[in-house]
Amino acid sequence: MIKNYFKIAWRNILKHKFHSALNMLGLSIGIAFTLLIAAYVWGELQVNKSVKNIDNQYIIQSNWKDPDMGLVITTIGPLAKALREDYPNLVANYYRWDGVTTNVANGDKIFREGLQIGDSSFLRMYGFQLMYGDAKNAMTEPFSVVITEDRAVKYFGKKDVLGQSLTLESFSGSKHDFKITGVMKNPAYNSINRITFDNDNQLYVPVSSAAYFSRTLDEWNNPNIVGFVELQNGVKPKDLEAPMQQIIALRSNTDISANMRPYLVPLKDYYLQQNNGLVKKMLYTVSCIALFILLMAIINFINIAVGKSSTRIKEIGLRKVMGSGRKQIIFQFLTESVLLVFFSMTAALLIYVLAAPFLSAVLGKTIPSLAAFPVYYGLIPVALVFIIGLLAGMYPAFILSALNAVDSVKGKLQSVNANIYLRKTLVGFQFFMASVVLIGAMILGKQVSLFFSKDLGYNKDYVVSVQLPRDWTRSGVQKMETIRDEFARMPEVSSASLTWSVPDGTGSGTMSLYPAGKDSSQSILFESVIADKKYLETFQIPLTAGRTFERPADSLNIVINESAVKTLGLHNASEAIGQRLFASADMPLNVIGVFSDFHFGSLKDKIRPMVFTNVNLNNAYRLMCFKLKAGNIGSAMEKIQAKWSALLPGTSFDYKFMDESLQNLYRTEIQLKKASQVATALALFIVVLGIIGLISLSIQKRTKEIGIRKLLGASGSSIASLFMKDFLPVVLISGIISIPVSWFIMQKWLNDYNYRVPITAGPFAVSIIGLGLLAVLLIIIQIFKATLQNPVKNLRTE
Amino acid sequence: MIELNGIYKWVNSGNNRIFLLKDINLKVQEGEFISIMGPSGSGKSTLLNVIGMLDEFNEGEYNFLHESVHKLKEKQRAALYKLYIGFVFQAYHLIDELTVYENIETPLIYQDIKASERKAMVADILDRFNIVGKKDLFPTQLSGGQQQLVGIARALIAKPKLLLADEPTGNLNSKQGEEIMNLFSELNKEGVAIIQVTHSEKNAAYGSRIINLLDGRIEH
Repeated sequence: MIKNYFKIAWRNILKHKFHSALNMLGLSIGIAFTLLIAAYVWGELQVNKSVKNIDNQYIIQSNWKDPDMGLVITTIGPLAKALREDYPNLVANYYRWDGVTTNVANGDKIFREGLQIGDSSFLRMYGFQLMYGDAKNAMTEPFSVVITEDRAVKYFGKKDVLGQSLTLESFSGSKHDFKITGVMKNPAYNSINRITFDNDNQLYVPVSSAAYFSRTLDEWNNPNIVGFVELQNGVKPKDLEAPMQQIIALRSNTDISANMRPYLVPLKDYYLQQNNGLVKKMLYTVSCIALFILLMAIINFINIAVGKSSTRIKEIGLRKVMGSGRKQIIFQFLTESVLLVFFSMTAALLIYVLAAPFLSAVLGKTIPSLAAFPVYYGLIPVALVFIIGLLAGMYPAFILSALNAVDSVKGKLQSVNANIYLRKTLVGFQFFMASVVLIGAMILGKQVSLFFSKDLGYNKDYVVSVQLPRDWTRSGVQKMETIRDEFARMPEVSSASLTWSVPDGTGSGTMSLYPAGKDSSQSILFESVIADKKYLETFQIPLTAGRTFERPADSLNIVINESAVKTLGLHNASEAIGQRLFASADMPLNVIGVFSDFHFGSLKDKIRPMVFTNVNLNNAYRLMCFKLKAGNIGSAMEKIQAKWSALLPGTSFDYKFMDESLQNLYRTEIQLKKASQVATALALFIVVLGIIGLISLSIQKRTKEIGIRKLLGASGSSIASLFMKDFLPVVLISGIISIPVSWFIMQKWLNDYNYRVPITAGPFAVSIIGLGLLAVLLIIIQIFKATLQNPVKNLRTE
Repeated sequence: MIELNGIYKWVNSGNNRIFLLKDINLKVQEGEFISIMGPSGSGKSTLLNVIGMLDEFNEGEYNFLHESVHKLKEKQRAALYKLYIGFVFQAYHLIDELTVYENIETPLIYQDIKASERKAMVADILDRFNIVGKKDLFPTQLSGGQQQLVGIARALIAKPKLLLADEPTGNLNSKQGEEIMNLFSELNKEGVAIIQVTHSEKNAAYGSRIINLLDGRIEH
């Protein structure tokens, strides 16, 4: 019996090649996209899952009274260690690290690397595997380093590099060899090596070398250390709340203990929860998109199956007359749809392999290859074939099996007329979704281009930033200033600036300052950036009052933005000039200038009070920024690089254009934009398949009518309008329904941004008119094909 | 075998009730060969469908082999005709996607007969109808007469007690028609009861009894 079902299913697929192909094409693309997204989601859910004893692993986070006071993701240096020592029955182990970025060299191979200065527990606590070296003592000796196999290959071209050494630069500019005591197998993505996406540390230095980098992990007033703890079995994170508060109250200063409350986050949720659940939101969004695309493909399937049913009516009637029960007919149709889905699934897996690299690029994350999944996951496609097959085949099967046997045998029933409304509703639903996705993609695109627009308050064009080697001393700064001026004299460079950061949201920190006549309890939090006299010029930020740093004596002077002026309660910018702001009673800073507001960070955030401090104040810097003159950028960069090698021999020239820096800042948004574009393309594709399938079926059914009308003298366009009348209202109605829905969704998304594009009528009009034209075009093409034939021939086919 | 008592069937069209069958009383014995005649629209096919349980009627009683058909549920009725009745159509009504062999086999599949048994039964009937050489062809590759032969073979495969034929020769030329009618007589002699609808006096003469219908009534 089953064999029989398969046989007839197969012959039916072959008989209706065109529609079977349409059906399978749409479905396989829908399934492939869903599988790819599912794999991506799976990959994201695997983050941290391979860490040893994951259920007891926690990271200590900080809840600051004012979020501008400190970082959430770090904690007090010695806290994790003290917890283990004071509460050994609660805490089984700890790991802390301080992240630094420095130049790492093997001979003439020099790169900037992020490295973790961390506790020796690192290797054994999380189950990281050493390919070479001994986990017990690899992280103990001073001037030793553990690296990943990736880095071994990067610097040495091979993995077995135990005993060799790398030269690491300190922040005072000195260099020292570090012996490689371990090569670690590349770890699966986890939040210990990579606490944020950008912070990908692959070199690990023991705490015994912290002093070399002028760092310490044991300072009770340093809240910038990442701390992990492994709890004893059965201990709840809540059990540590009181101990942590106590320890801090006892040992840290009041600034910290009064304003910060540490808490534990399970490492297994950490990745998904971080940044207010940004990853989680992304996962939900793309999953929804994928499911809707799949739904559209299934609807296509149903539509074509129901539409095609007229050709099956006689067969069904006959089978009933010959004694078939309804159940058997249902089974037969389900077999057919399962078989179709099976072929689609096969194609989908092929598409998966081909499209995975492309979608990986779109989502900015490698999508696991099929081989990466556990073997028993192979059952999932099999199960999906049945589930989708049943879902898609159910409706047609039930309708068709319910037909009256005699009527169909006698040919009374030409089609399943009652379903025309349903089919139109389904097509309408497809249009609706395509329209929502299209509108969403357009608005998203607009907002993303706002990120890169000219309205950021500064000019990002032709600005390049290069990482500098560190020598954070008075003489080091002076040397850099000389080098800066050397660069500025190049004809390709219009201006150069020595600074801590470009406007990418990561300043040098925050500063609480209070005006003269008030005390520290009334201080205002400023986003602070270490800058020099050329910063405003390089980024073309207008000065609204006063002047910027110019003289050597300016080290205790500051420049603030207009928002700061407002927050200080002053009426205008010039009033601010000469004001004294106190970081502490013995450290007054003079306001010498005011610059107009610009977007230092994401457009999500409001522009905050900002202060520029002079590089001479802290003798700290990170970047050299160049504003290039318009012209041949490539050759300009070559010349700058040549000059760089001459002025700063032995340092890497890692440069970034401002656009790249912004792309990092808006990575999620850009991913979402690309994903929405892919989804739009797929949605439109499936809608096109759906319209083609439906119209060709209705033309098939009305061949005779078309023939008669043509014989009576109807023109091609009047025949086309017959079909238009059928379909255009559907497009229009679904388009209209999509307006409030997409408006609501996009408004909700945009609400996250303090600075956002207005939602205009444009995208809605484009979407509805565009989809309408698409439908018209498809109808005209197919009618044209149908009417080309001799009408008499059409009549004869009856 | 069959007993129809006061069968009425009608359809409502607006306020009018149009009668398709009016007060039909008919008895059919086992092994009879009946021809139903009458002008177009007189209700011949409707009557055949009612007898074949493919159509419902609105009033009256219908007993088939001591079962009261009017009291049965659809499923039971289907089980009944599946077992005892074979159908032959004017337009053959073979399933285009199936070969000759598979078309004939289909009713057996629906009766849950084992594959090996099915094979033997189909082979028998192919042999008897002399169409062994055609068994792997599809209906569209056959002539009308050959298609009707397959249609009859399919109707007979499950060894029904009653064969219902709705103008079985209507689409055939006279020679093919004659062959089919001869086959019917032969089958009748073997004990299969046959009820056929026909326009042709000549074909009607093959039967043992003729029933004339006019406007849904049996003319006496």
